[in-house]
Amino acid sequence: MLQNLVKSVWVPMKPYYTQAYQEIWLGMGLMSLIVYKIRSADKRSKALKGKIFASSKGWGTKDTILLSQDTVSHGL
Amino acid sequence: MNENLFASFAAPSMMGLPIVVLIVMFPSVLFPTPSRLINNRLISIQQWLIQLTSKQMLAIHNQKGQTWALMLMSLILFISSTNLLGLLPHSFTPTTQLSMNLGMAIPLWAGTVITGFRYKTKASLAHFLPQGTPLPLIPMLVVIETISLLIQPMALAVRLTANITAGHLLIHLIGGATLALINISATTAFITFIILILLTILEFAVALIQAYVFTLLVSLYLHDNT
Repeated sequence: MLQNLVKSVWVPMKPYYTQAYQEIWLGMGLMSLIVYKIRSADKRSKALKGKIFASSKGWGTKDTILLSQDTVSHGL
Repeated sequence: MNENLFASFAAPSMMGLPIVVLIVMFPSVLFPTPSRLINNRLISIQQWLIQLTSKQMLAIHNQKGQTWALMLMSLILFISSTNLLGLLPHSFTPTTQLSMNLGMAIPLWAGTVITGFRYKTKASLAHFLPQGTPLPLIPMLVVIETISLLIQPMALAVRLTANITAGHLLIHLIGGATLALINISATTAFITFIILILLTILEFAVALIQAYVFTLLVSLYLHDNT
């Protein structure tokens, strides 16, 4: 199946993927960087909101705060 | 009714599994690969349409720009087929999702800008300052031109999303109004139904026009940079 895929897709498209679309690959890299930044910022803000909510409800223990900080620092 | 209005724009799933990828890949089934010298009617009509569109679209490009022929033709075919399939009742239109349209617009726009900076650096930088600008206005105008450049992919994506989403919403609303008016006043329901038919014809045109506008703008950005 892989051989068939290489013969039918990669062989005819090789000059496009390797030469003509070099700039588009860079553009895709830029787009994935933007997606990564937005997702990590969203996760960080959600973790922060959860932390503020927990502390306002009086649930804020040392463990909860440490867990939230750990989540934020890993960019999750 | 409010929930039903936006339900068609939610990402579809079947038995808990997302099927967006299948829906995005489906239009390729409608464009079979020509395998003979003289093909069947469907493929012959498609080849003729593709030749007509590509001749018109690539006429302005030089040799470098024409290496993007496959990309531009694939783009217009994909967007037009996706938009037209979305006009079927109860179907999902991927181009109503801003994420999808940004996923098309950003790499293509960035590709054209990077091509410009790579092969014609001075000319690309010169685009940031129109010819004949008075000296005191130069700093402000450079900032404005930079912002207008950076807004191009956003405008491309939002234009397509908004047009297709608005059209679908209008069809939903007027269709709902027609149904609601049937029991109240048959004449009014009939007039609303005529409006619905005219709107659907308009949406067919909008589906094709938006595909053409998206591709044409990408082509123009490429022309500016090659």
